[in-house]
Amino acid sequence: MTPSVSYHCPCLSDDPVPPPPNAPSSSYGFHPLHELFFCEECDAVRCNRCVSVEVSGYYCPNCLFEVPSASVRAEKNRCARNCFMCPNCRNTLSVVPSDPQDADDGRSLGANLSAVGEPPFFLYCSFCRWDSAEVDITFEKPTGLAAQLQKFEDSAPDSLEFERLKEHFEPFLRASSSSSAAASLSGHSHAAHAHATPVNPITAAASSALARDIPGVGKYTPAPRGRRDKGARDEISEYRSRVEVKGTKDGSNVDFMRRLEEVSQVAAFGQRWANSWTTTLHSSELKPLRIPLHSKKTKRCSACRHILIKPEQKAQSVRFKIKLVAANYIPAMTVAFPPSPDPIRQRGAGTKQVPTEGASGASGLQAGGTFPFHLALTNPLYDPIHVRLAVQRPVPPPSSSSSSASPEKARRPPFAVSLPQSAFPIAAFAEAWEYEDDEDMFVGEDDEFGGLDRERGGGAGGGKGKAVGVLERRANVTVVGGEVVVGRDAKGPLKFNMLVSYTYRSDDPLAEDDVRATPSRKEKVPEMKTFSFYTVVDLGTIIPRPRTSASEVV
Amino acid sequence: MSNLAVPSTPRSRTSHAVPVTPAGAPNTARIARSGMVQASPHYQTTRRHSLYGTEDRVIIDPGSRVWKVGFSGEGRPRDVFFVSPLWGLQRAPDLFQREEEDRLLAAQLQTHLRAVFHDSLLTDPKSRKVIVIEHPLLPVYVKETIAKILFENLQVPSISFASSHLLALLSAGRITGLVLDCGELESTALPIYSSRPLFHQLRTTPLAGARLTSHLRALLLLFGTYLPPPTSLSAAVNMPASSRSTRVPLEVLSDGVLEEIKTRCSFVGEAMDTALDSSVMSPMGEDPMDVDLLPSDSAPSESDFSRVSADRDSNAGPTSSDFSVVSRSQVLPGRPSTGEHQLQALADLYLRHSTATDLHLKVTPPVSQQTGTGHGTLIVPGWIRERGSEVLFEGGDVDESSVAETILDCLLKTPVDLRRTLATSILVTGGTAMLPGFIPRLHTELIQAIITSPSASARPPVSRGRPRPPAYDRYAVLRPLVPYFAILNNPSPTHPSGARGSNNAGKAPAFTPATMAWVGGSLAGVLKTGGVEVAREKWDEAGGHPGPEDSTEESDVVVRSTNVIPDWTRTPLPMGAPPANLPPPQMLEAAPLAVVGA
Repeated sequence: MTPSVSYHCPCLSDDPVPPPPNAPSSSYGFHPLHELFFCEECDAVRCNRCVSVEVSGYYCPNCLFEVPSASVRAEKNRCARNCFMCPNCRNTLSVVPSDPQDADDGRSLGANLSAVGEPPFFLYCSFCRWDSAEVDITFEKPTGLAAQLQKFEDSAPDSLEFERLKEHFEPFLRASSSSSAAASLSGHSHAAHAHATPVNPITAAASSALARDIPGVGKYTPAPRGRRDKGARDEISEYRSRVEVKGTKDGSNVDFMRRLEEVSQVAAFGQRWANSWTTTLHSSELKPLRIPLHSKKTKRCSACRHILIKPEQKAQSVRFKIKLVAANYIPAMTVAFPPSPDPIRQRGAGTKQVPTEGASGASGLQAGGTFPFHLALTNPLYDPIHVRLAVQRPVPPPSSSSSSASPEKARRPPFAVSLPQSAFPIAAFAEAWEYEDDEDMFVGEDDEFGGLDRERGGGAGGGKGKAVGVLERRANVTVVGGEVVVGRDAKGPLKFNMLVSYTYRSDDPLAEDDVRATPSRKEKVPEMKTFSFYTVVDLGTIIPRPRTSASEVV
Repeated sequence: MSNLAVPSTPRSRTSHAVPVTPAGAPNTARIARSGMVQASPHYQTTRRHSLYGTEDRVIIDPGSRVWKVGFSGEGRPRDVFFVSPLWGLQRAPDLFQREEEDRLLAAQLQTHLRAVFHDSLLTDPKSRKVIVIEHPLLPVYVKETIAKILFENLQVPSISFASSHLLALLSAGRITGLVLDCGELESTALPIYSSRPLFHQLRTTPLAGARLTSHLRALLLLFGTYLPPPTSLSAAVNMPASSRSTRVPLEVLSDGVLEEIKTRCSFVGEAMDTALDSSVMSPMGEDPMDVDLLPSDSAPSESDFSRVSADRDSNAGPTSSDFSVVSRSQVLPGRPSTGEHQLQALADLYLRHSTATDLHLKVTPPVSQQTGTGHGTLIVPGWIRERGSEVLFEGGDVDESSVAETILDCLLKTPVDLRRTLATSILVTGGTAMLPGFIPRLHTELIQAIITSPSASARPPVSRGRPRPPAYDRYAVLRPLVPYFAILNNPSPTHPSGARGSNNAGKAPAFTPATMAWVGGSLAGVLKTGGVEVAREKWDEAGGHPGPEDSTEESDVVVRSTNVIPDWTRTPLPMGAPPANLPPPQMLEAAPLAVVGA
């Protein structure tokens, strides 16, 4: 698994500090940078979980037809033209004409090429060779297939039954509502004088029922049973189903299942679960599916209602009219292990002994080892920024109990991460041709910073050497080195939360005071602004030491 | 709240606060606005103005496993999808873990709810009223999490919660009946009379879809056969399948495979008449694997079986000699070894009572064994397909009564004079009830459970898998009702022509059991009804936005949960027998009104 960096959006909880990275819920708060938006008004990161979404247009993903919203409802979010999916494999079906009279093998070739074709047309799946003639669906002309099918759908048993149910309940609810309006009556007024006071039907039903003498519920009335049954029926006439479930396929289904030879004869759960009507189980009787529409979505910041994303109207276009994505505002980060660890370790004059040779990022994070890693930050802004990184200290009690089971691990975090402590600069983003002249400057700065860091790192007594600090600066990218010391008994994923604060020159000094509540130091220069955000760095999974098992045995 | 129908009896007072009987003032006021629409309820007239009529609501049926979503007024849901199990029957005992669970639940619910509006329905949540179909035992914290996400993240204008059982009954065209919802986590029977659910007579059992899945897994581990992919293509031709066959590795039985077996291969056979052929041993030899699995001496006699099943709870299990062949390592973790006994005994019994064909399923081989070419093959014995679901009909346990017993217990709790009406209109809904043959079998089980009694039958109730019942005859009072029992959506009712229940059996429209609640929700939505409506303003008022001071938040949550989201568990308990000195009625009046009116 490649190491990754994800960015935190604090919308899931009121706490701006993210939960410990090992908690299962934490993954929902972190997103890859390319999924995030940035609201300039609120000066905050927004994610797909907190933006409010509006539909700005519907289109069919197959024919790219922009469906006017008027017909979206009537067509139940499906393409109303010629787009169908194969019920077995979900491939797009194509319309083919029937075989010509004499050429029996020329269906896919000759007949397809002929412009008109023979009249009974049907849908054909070029992947699994299903065709709609199997289920007796043929068409007279090759266009407007959905309209030709519409009459079957309109007469689907579920919708007819549904209408009937509606008609069944409506007068009852209206009647009982009017009777409840005359509250004193005991529910016998079936005279359907449409009372002017419109009442929620179930409210009405309920209140009339409440007013009524409820047999058996309220008080004991020693009436004969027959009368009571009648009383219950008086309330609502018995519903006569259009199609009763009695005599539908269930009995034969049991026999069919009992003699089943191939699983594929039974339609999969997903192919029939949206059918509200009892149907056969046979997969051979599945009907073609109309392709569901997609929508183009406009996204707004949920706090200030400003538009973050607005796509162009045309279905063919993939551009946006408005696009405020976080990648244009906050530094992009990638994490990687150095390609070959050996030179770095030598250069670092490592006091730390890496136990297993070749234990690089590629081969995995062995428990008990020390591993350098590179963090590359890319500045998207046109101004240089200064970045400060800080590892979030895992709060011992919560993080321990969440990382289940091992209590000895609970005592202390199973690994320690060192990162450059001081702020480091990243040059401004510029067009590619502008960089060449400045190259000398960057090289110089790089040396300066590298040297500074090396010095500082040595002073800290870690003897970390070159592994921690600014390693490389070019164009608008700065690579810093970090190091992780993995504990001997560590296991599980190596993830840590990291607070990134960067300072940039603000164009708008007025907006300074709505800097986010994260620990932002005030810069000396008044027009400088600081923006902070949390990230989670996932370095991979720690490989437990094989030695530990041996020691347990001993 | 002056216009609340003032209840006249204690019983009805408790039920008017129930979510499905909206008697609150806001509803009436809202209807006043929509009165004209109601006169001509066809959305075609309003369609031109907006994409959907303003009164078209979004119906969400959130199960713990499968969600169904769509618009009101339509006969089928627009979209159905799986969710990872969002909640279970228990929560973490540790407070910290529970907080984590809640965060996880909120995040996952948010993902799904946003997907419902943005991906499935492609509609703007801000203009859509929502009906959430709630199972009566849906935990309140789940309900509140759903409401919080809908109001605060998606900003829907209003939410109504409607009882799934009542809605299912509506889809059958009735307002009175006994509804059994056999879903994923639980099977729940709830009597409903005149559109009022009698929540306090609800009975439930954990014998449902999830239990069936784990039972199928256990059976397949013991009795299924797995053929690893052949190591080379020529081996596939040369080697007979029997020489490749192995036991089923646990990794093969992923949730997806089990779901496929459950939904595509399983069905429910007729009740086993164990008295007739207990000694008859049908040949079991189609599969060579099976032969050596079975005890060599003979099939256990019926008394063996009943002994095994009788002492499955107490047996410490030193007596594994008879079934030593079966002593395998592949039992589900946590299952006591005596479970194997029981399973073996069950297997023999089931095998004798099944004629279903074995099925070959292509499965992905486990990662450790991916040496061969192509897919592995899982052989599902026919009797597992047919008799795996017997677990749902095995009662006898006090805590886990069978599905049929749950219905009968529910009937026993209902008032005497409602019993016959309810028994003639039983409705079975829920995903697990989609198993072919489930409903007819349930009917048989109902009748059998009543008829079988210590005095009436000489034979032990083997098929019910419970120990010899004590002299106490639990369902004696229900015995006169036997001819009346009828399941409304029984596809093949087997009533004798004279039976009085035959008037009702199979008379429901042929909606599938799994979607009945959704269809009922759609119906309620188009009839402009369906539960107490909670408007967003009300939610905002009650909850407020805690703002910067976090200290008050806790109390806000409490206030919100008691007031805004209606739940039947918050209604006062029903009156028991009246106390000797009756309290003055005014005081009785006050309590429920406060709850509703707030």
